[in-house]
Amino acid sequence: MPSSPPDSRPLVELRAVTKSYAEGDSVREVLSGTSLALHRGEFVVLLGRSGSGKSTLLNLISGIDQATHGEILVEGRDLGRLPERDRTLLRRERIGFIFQAFNLLPTLTVEENVRLPLELLGRSGAEASARARELLGRVGLETRANSFPDRLSGGEQQRVAVARALAHSPPLLLADEPTGNLDEETGGQVLDLLEGLTRQGNACALIVTHEPAMAARADRVLTLEHGRLVDRPGGARGRGTT
Amino acid sequence: MRTLLARSSLRHLGGHPWLTALSLLGIAMGVAVVVSIDLASGSALRAFEQSTDVVAGRATHQIAGGTSGLPEGVYTALKLRPDAPDAAPVVQGFVQVEGGNHRTLTLLGLDPFAEAPFRDFSTGGAVGDVGTLLTQPGTVVMGAKTARALGVKAGDTLPVMVTGLRRELRVSALLEPAQETTERALESLLLADISTAQEVLGMEGRLTRVDLRLKGGEAQAATLRAALPRGAELVQTSGRAGTVEQMTRAFRTNLTALSLLALVVGMFLIYNTMTFSVVQRRGMLGRLRAVGVTRGELFALVLGEALMLGIVGTAAGLLLGILMASGLVGLITRTINDLYFVVNVRRLSLEPFTLIKGLSLGLGATVLAALVPAWEAARAAPVTALRRSTVEDVSRGRAPRLAVLGLIILAVAAAVLAWPTQALLPAYAGLFAVLLGSALLVPWVTEKLTVASARPLGALFGPLGRMAARGVTASLSRTAVALAALMVAVATTVGVGLMVSSFRGTVAAWLESALQADVFVSPPSLVARRGDSSLVPGLAEKLRSTPGVEASGSIRVIHVRINDVDTDLLAVDFAKGHERTYRFKEGRAEDVWRQLEASPDALIVSEPFAFHRNVHAGDTLRVATDKGPHDFRVAGVYFDYGSDVGTVLMPRATYEHWYEDRGVSGLSLFAAPGQDVDELVARVRDRAGGEQALNVRANRALRQASMEVFDRTFTITQVLRLLAIGVAFVGVLSALMSLQLERAREFAVLRATGLTPGQLWGMVSLQTGLLGLLAGLFSIPLGLALAYVLVHVINQRSFGWTLQLVVAPGVVGQALVLALVAAALAGLYPAWRMARANPAMALREE
Repeated sequence: MPSSPPDSRPLVELRAVTKSYAEGDSVREVLSGTSLALHRGEFVVLLGRSGSGKSTLLNLISGIDQATHGEILVEGRDLGRLPERDRTLLRRERIGFIFQAFNLLPTLTVEENVRLPLELLGRSGAEASARARELLGRVGLETRANSFPDRLSGGEQQRVAVARALAHSPPLLLADEPTGNLDEETGGQVLDLLEGLTRQGNACALIVTHEPAMAARADRVLTLEHGRLVDRPGGARGRGTT
Repeated sequence: MRTLLARSSLRHLGGHPWLTALSLLGIAMGVAVVVSIDLASGSALRAFEQSTDVVAGRATHQIAGGTSGLPEGVYTALKLRPDAPDAAPVVQGFVQVEGGNHRTLTLLGLDPFAEAPFRDFSTGGAVGDVGTLLTQPGTVVMGAKTARALGVKAGDTLPVMVTGLRRELRVSALLEPAQETTERALESLLLADISTAQEVLGMEGRLTRVDLRLKGGEAQAATLRAALPRGAELVQTSGRAGTVEQMTRAFRTNLTALSLLALVVGMFLIYNTMTFSVVQRRGMLGRLRAVGVTRGELFALVLGEALMLGIVGTAAGLLLGILMASGLVGLITRTINDLYFVVNVRRLSLEPFTLIKGLSLGLGATVLAALVPAWEAARAAPVTALRRSTVEDVSRGRAPRLAVLGLIILAVAAAVLAWPTQALLPAYAGLFAVLLGSALLVPWVTEKLTVASARPLGALFGPLGRMAARGVTASLSRTAVALAALMVAVATTVGVGLMVSSFRGTVAAWLESALQADVFVSPPSLVARRGDSSLVPGLAEKLRSTPGVEASGSIRVIHVRINDVDTDLLAVDFAKGHERTYRFKEGRAEDVWRQLEASPDALIVSEPFAFHRNVHAGDTLRVATDKGPHDFRVAGVYFDYGSDVGTVLMPRATYEHWYEDRGVSGLSLFAAPGQDVDELVARVRDRAGGEQALNVRANRALRQASMEVFDRTFTITQVLRLLAIGVAFVGVLSALMSLQLERAREFAVLRATGLTPGQLWGMVSLQTGLLGLLAGLFSIPLGLALAYVLVHVINQRSFGWTLQLVVAPGVVGQALVLALVAAALAGLYPAWRMARANPAMALREE
């Protein structure tokens, strides 16, 4: 199913990344010297038990959080060396983030939520509206464009979150348990959508999940165990990366 | 700002209409108080200045006389000089219209033939016969507008009172000037020929002043000055307006300070509102950060929201301020009339400067108050990296550090306030630092107190009691801000209340010791605190010899120029055989009295006089006397609360040595042993007969009347205090209501798990009650500290009075009641809303 082979230069690269948190007097290490490379066109699944550090890894890659040691490069730029403002702008321009708890803005309508990343990039008006409508059509919510998020079901909210994450066609898509709150059928629809849009746009998606069944769709399956990443090929591609 | 972010902000504000409305009200009230005070006192001053300007006309200089004006001969001699300048004689005084609300008018006696270079009241039309002004004694002309207000027509008789004597004037014509300023000035003027004015005001053969236009400037003034007789002074007209400005400066400064205090309270409320709106949306702000909104953009977003609130609140505040000013102008005018000079304010002047000041204060205060919350918002961590519990942990961890910072700021405040200077700015800075330092102590003290209260509340109300107490500490980041805002708001009302009660207590004690005689006699005076009217000649002696009077004293009040500033001079004839009740701040009583009696060159000055003029015992003052300027030695400084600009006092013998005037302004009579005082009052009234309307009052009645004047002059302060209470009330209401509304989801969970609406209401009420109680308790020590600063630092530096701090339990009690009632009301709406709401819906809402 991949539409094009991965680029040779990684889109995301982690070099010996360690992340630890202080908890009272003790220190808990969530990631221990993790290395990883993700390329354009890859649909990657990240598995792991609760508290294994999956969300932390996503936060680090998006620049929301910072590594204790090691380097994280997105499109060749070392996040550790970027000032906070540049990290935010990188996230605004190059990353789409889907949160487990949807994180829609309650004071904006469905369409406005989807338009937000475009507007932040200075693309407002008719063009942004058309793009938002198009994406809402693709997630099956064109009739709910003027509703506020609290009027939508969990599945609908998650589809809005997907549309918002994809609105500005980011090369990197990060999703934190996007189907965690959904029933199997709706979850399947959301994943279809994510996978389809990722592959069409030659983007890279890193999807955090609890469900091993999702591995069948992925090009690669990463598993976080005791702070370390185990990398194996997924069902969609027989090729692995170390 | 990006459209969508702005829209999100607007919807957030619109989604919380109660809170938005309350914060708008907070800003509006803060601005309204400042603007209304400024407009009202500005209007009173401008009315005075305008009428002074029109009355003074185009004069560059004036020749003014001593206590009883100038002899007419000064004018005649001036006109006979070969280098005679343009000159016009003026006789000026006040009359009170009988009926017509006892309106006070200025009677201006002029020589129409000399007027042309100075004043022009004749442009425009006139109804009636202006010519009779010269031909018929007792004739006046007046503005048509005033005449209409008084119900007078041309040809009517106008009865007036002049220092207790009734006179009848005939209105020969009504003027309708073309110019608005002249029309305004005419609103409180009666124009007459000079001889009519002399007769009505009892100034036969004398003039109030001679107006001059000196084309040769100061050189010509010097030549003329040399030729003036003793006791006559040549002064520039521009110097006079400055005196008025100086006279009321302390009064106006104090009003401005109090109104600014209301704005500071308003600022705390805005700070509370903005902080709240930020903490409430911490999650949402985090999401915005996660989708790529920068810190700068979030900072601008919150500041923009504040600015929007500021614009709407300030606009409403300006309108409210103008409305309030029309009510306050009457109060301020009355106070100025009681304390300083006669002024008639018929309309509010809307000065653009005041409105611009109100606008910048409102917007500036809002933006300033929103800076910290905006900064907090910009620091918001993206998404859920910082969870609520972490936020509260950070907040609790920060509390001891903030408390230490608060103590340091309080120590700095104490040092600034103790700094020996007369400047007011450091005093206000110190006051603000006291507020800030105390606010920083709040989180730590709140945590300690609520932890301690959990057990007794649990014992009294079960698990709900414990939950109510824990709720306060669990959300310390919000409750502490709300509590600090409330504490400041309530403490302000305590501070101002105690200042007034201290002032009142000090004045009451002073009156008690100062007023020793049994009966006091004086003609009615137009300025309540300045008894400068005269008893008709011979009446004083007649009343002093009333049967039943054992001893008597007299007082004469006149205005003289001391070191070139108009000042009240009291000449006192002390009753023999009775204790002199003056207490001295500088100088020993026996030494002071001995010096005053031994030397005709000694006088004493009141505490405010010594303060404003920086004069001490042993210094010299140059006083204008009828024998020319003379240097007097200050023998002592006495405590006096009768005038905030200060007075000087000399024995009657000294006065008669230096001045020709033999008038008496008031008498104090001591009843013979066994003489009934009420009977004596009646006898004195009988003896005075209908010769002159007099106030004959027993000791107690005078004390009461004095306290009434005092209370009247403090009405404006009390009104300001009420406004501060209003702002505080709105503050308590909005802060506590927002706390509870914000917990809608938590309450929904409680309802879903089986809490009845009644139990929910009980828990909310317990918590708001606890917060109200804490705010009330915190406000007491802060209120006392504020009162101390207001009484011993700010009042001292504004007026120079030494006051005793009197702690009135009523004022303190009011603070607790205010906090508790507002807290109880604040709990009602959230509890009612949550009790009615469907928990399922509330759980779905963010």
